[in-house]
This record gives sequence, structure tokens and C-alpha cells, in this order.
Amino acid sequence: MGRNGLTEFVPSRQEGGKGVDLNIFLQTSINGLMIGGVYALVAVGLTLIYGVMRIVNFAQGEFVMLGMYASWMLATFLKIGPYPGLFLVGLFMLGIGWLIFKTLINRVVGKPDEVAILLTLGLSTFLQNAILMIFGADYLTVQTTIKDAAFNMAGLSVPYARVIAFLVALLFVGLLSYLLAKTDLGRAMRASAESRDIAILLGINPKFIFTVAFGIGICMAGVAGVLLTPMFYVYPGIGTLFNTTAFVVVVLGGMGSVPGAFLGGLIIGILESLTGTYVSLDLAPIGTFMIFLIVLFLRPSGLFGRSVN
Amino acid sequence: MSKKMKYAVAGFFALLILAFPLLVDNPYIIHTFFMVFLFATMGLGWNLIGGYGAQLSLGHAAFFAVGAYTAVLFVVYKSITPFLGGVVGIVFAVILAIIIGLPSFRLRGPYFTLSTIAAAEIVRTLLLHFQDFTGGANGIPIPFKGENPLFLQFYSKAPYYYLALIMLIAVFLLLRFLEKSKIGRYLAAIREDQDAAESLGIKTHKVKMIALIISAAITAACGVLYAFTVGFIDPDSIAGLSLSIEIAVVVIVGGIGTLWGPIVGAGVVILLTELTNMYLGAMRSGASLMLYGLLLIIVILFKPQGLSALFRKKS
Repeated sequence: MGRNGLTEFVPSRQEGGKGVDLNIFLQTSINGLMIGGVYALVAVGLTLIYGVMRIVNFAQGEFVMLGMYASWMLATFLKIGPYPGLFLVGLFMLGIGWLIFKTLINRVVGKPDEVAILLTLGLSTFLQNAILMIFGADYLTVQTTIKDAAFNMAGLSVPYARVIAFLVALLFVGLLSYLLAKTDLGRAMRASAESRDIAILLGINPKFIFTVAFGIGICMAGVAGVLLTPMFYVYPGIGTLFNTTAFVVVVLGGMGSVPGAFLGGLIIGILESLTGTYVSLDLAPIGTFMIFLIVLFLRPSGLFGRSVN
Repeated sequence: MSKKMKYAVAGFFALLILAFPLLVDNPYIIHTFFMVFLFATMGLGWNLIGGYGAQLSLGHAAFFAVGAYTAVLFVVYKSITPFLGGVVGIVFAVILAIIIGLPSFRLRGPYFTLSTIAAAEIVRTLLLHFQDFTGGANGIPIPFKGENPLFLQFYSKAPYYYLALIMLIAVFLLLRFLEKSKIGRYLAAIREDQDAAESLGIKTHKVKMIALIISAAITAACGVLYAFTVGFIDPDSIAGLSLSIEIAVVVIVGGIGTLWGPIVGAGVVILLTELTNMYLGAMRSGASLMLYGLLLIIVILFKPQGLSALFRKKS
């Protein structure tokens, strides 16, 4: 098992010195692209929250973790598999997001970044350890019938779990983009993001808009968690991994940019997969963080973002 | 309280702290107070950049680990005293601080915080990866070769207690000096309004860099002392995000940007952690860290100036 807690087969390092084996390269890239879709989903939720209300949410990974546990509980106690349970968990996470916003986040909107960072950091530590106390540190797995089945094409084999995760993530990001671009709610969100005062003048209630945006952001993390349960072990600390990855993705795409976060997620997914295969599996996170520091150094506004400060 | 009374009380506490290892011979309790001093020292160091400069670092564990690992590896492979290895470790930590600060201090917003996390994760991953050299996830023990002050090895816990106390006092005096110095005033200006500070001609990223370098050096020194006191280090416990968070929580609970905050915070947080570990730890793991999280949430929402503000109001 790699340190990421990945349960499925990962293509082994290339043998011998016959140069780059194209098949392994493609296989690795596709696997990375699929998981990148899920990273993108988590990051899009994170960037939406930052973009709309300037809250840096350090607990985003923990909401992925909560989604995973919710999915595990549905599968274990009610025999509802991850995919049929997706909408139940999505609704549940929307509720959690609403609750967290009303009780905690609401109080720090408009304050300096550090306040929100510390608050959500406290929340992240609290959630992670509350789950540890309730469920223990055991690695849990969710059994699905398609777990080991794979989609074969042209000599490449992609596990169904990954294909589904990618497609569902794509669907959710698409729905959010549509919501932001074409609906009144989306326009209200963008207006509140631009200027709270002008939004109020236009008759928009920013509190309501912030609540909705936060709920959607958290819901996306939870849904990502559900999509990951067939592939990853479920344990209390797994959120940390997605927290850091999501931030790298968001910075790469430009903070607050939804299409940026989406493309950033795919890039990081592929990159991590390639580092894992061609360098070393346990060094995979290093590639990600190096990219992060390099992007900060060369292009802090992100690859697709508007300029900061 | 009259001034005389205050001095008498302060004197009494000073004597009590000095004589403590003579009065109590339970090594566990001595070690707990060692941890209070150590976290107070790290908190003072963290506060320089995180509090006075308002640049939130969540990667100080990296400096701690770089200091600790360098000193320990020097002892294990070359039998070189930690007094020398520790200095090399501090130099490495300073280099790391420059690498983190260079790209991120030019930017506003959460970029600095994110780079500190990224840098610490790189350090932790590298320590895990090069296991033939560092011991990997299993960690690396320091072989005990009998009492030898030159190698920071003692049978009793008391010498470590005093070393930590000396370090705490030294760093406290340094911070008291820095607070009043040009650097301290520049940092305060940056915290209040970075644009105004810049328009006054303060080279903000240079000032922040100096603060981060001093802060990193203090943290690395703490890492060295910790490693030799415990006799064992491993990447997940000393280079992980949770240690970075603990350092920050200590300061925030005590009072961010204040001289006494880290000391009050270390006392409250470390003693509270030990108590919960003692009573709840046996039943369930995670209790003490859950408390950390809760404490952080409560302080941020209701008492952002920290607990040491309670004392200030009274006196």
C-alpha cells in the first residue's frame, strides 16, 4: 500500500532500459487524469468558497473525509452502495455546509485571511480527531461489485471506479459552471464576489448567497469523498492529503477561478501519477509541491488566473 | 497588588521553577515541564513571524525536523557532538527559511501559509523516502553511550529541564530586545498596514525574511534539544503538519503577538494535553488533539487576543 492509502493496483515501475514504454506512459497518464478529475472537484469547491467570500477553507479535505465516512456508513449499515448513495451524501454534506457556515464561518467573513485560516484549521483538527474517536484509526473499505472490474481499450485498462469518478466529477463541475454563468443565483454569487456592497444595492442578500456557495463547496468535497471510497482506504487522516493537494491545485489554477481549478486538478492528477510511476511512488507528493513552489515563484496568479494584489 | 508583593510572588515562583527537579523526582512530570518550556520557546520563535509579523506559518515543524535530524545524523554516522551538528542543522533550517520566504513574501494573502505547508511536506516526504539514511518511517534512535554532557546524554531528566529553561530565558530576552528594536517596530508596522509600511520606505520582504530566519533558527535549536532529550525521532511526529499546528495553537491560545502569550499558551495547552492524555488517552486516541481544535475555534471566535489578555486586565 502506498502512503496515499490507494487500494488498487498501481502500474509498477518500468523495467529494463528499453526507453519509455508508451503503453505504461499512457496507462499512467489516464489513471492520473481520472483521479485528477476528483482532485478538480475538491479544488473547485475550495476555489468557489474563496472566490465568493474570501474564506480560505483549511478543512476542505476533512469534508472529503466526512463524505467517505458517510458513504461507508451507508454501505455498511443500510447496504446502499456509494453510487446509489451519492445524492444522499451530497444532500447531507449540503446540510453540514449550511450548519458550519451558520455556526462558524459566518462570524469571520470579511476578516483578514488569517482568522479564517485558523478557524478552519481548528475545525479540521477537531473533525479529524472527532472521527478518530468515534470510528477508531482502522482502515475501512467499501465493497462494490465493480471494484476490480476495468474498462479495456486498445491495450489500456482503466478501472471502472476511476472512469465513473471522473465522469461524475466532470458532471458536477459542469453543473456548477452552468449555475455560475447562466442562472440568477450564479450571477448573484459572482456579484457578491465582486463587491458585497454593490450586491446589497442590487437587492442581493449576501448572507444567503454565501451560505449557498459554502454549502455547494462542501457538497463538492463530500461527493468527491463518495467517488473515492471504492479506490481509497477510509481513515481519519485521509483528509490531510486532499487538503494540501486541493490548495496546490487552486493556486495552480489561480485562486478563485473555477475553470483554473478544474484544469489544475487534471494537471496535478497526471503529474502525481507520472511521478509515482517514473520516480518513486512515495515521492509522488513532492512533484506536486515542487510545482506549487515553482508556480508561486514564476506566476503567482496561477496558470489561468487573474493577477493577485 | 503592591509592587513589593509582586516581586515577592515573582521571586517565589522563580525559586520554585529552579528547585522543581529537586523537589519532584517523577521523570514524567519533569518531562512534562520540559515540554512546556520547549513549546514556550518555539512559540516565542513562531510569534516573531506569525504574531509580530502576522505571517501565519504552518510549516515550522520543518525547521524543527531539519535541526533535529541534522544533529542526530551527525552523531549516529560521524560521532560529532550535537553542539556542532546542531549549528549545521540551524544553518540548514535558515537556508530552508530563505527558500520558503523568497517566493512567498512578495505576495499577499494565504500564499506564505501555503508555501510553509508545502515546504514542510517536502521535508517530511524526503525524510520518509531516504530510509537507508534516515531510518524512514521507523525513525532513528540515538544510541545511549553513558552520561556525556558533550553529547547531551544524561541519566536523569533534570539536566534537560534546565537546558530547556535556559533556552527559554535566552529566547525570551532576545524577543524582548527584538520587540523594542527596529525590526520589531517594522514588523508591527507591517502587521498594521503593509502598504503604509512600504510607503514609509520599509523594505517589507527583507524585514519579514529576517524575522523568519531568526524564527527558523530558534525552532531548529529546539528540535536539537528535543531529539536528544527523547532519544528518538521519526518524520511523522516531528515533521508532520500536526506539530506545526501545535506550535501555532500554543501562541494563539496564549496571545498572538505578545511577549508572554507563548509562555502562558504553552503552560495551558501542554498541561491540558497531558491531562487529557492521562485521563482520556487510555480510552480513545484523538481526544487531546480534538481539544486542540476546539480550543483554537473558541479562542479565534471569542478571545482572539488570547488568554494572556485575561492576566493583563487584572494587573
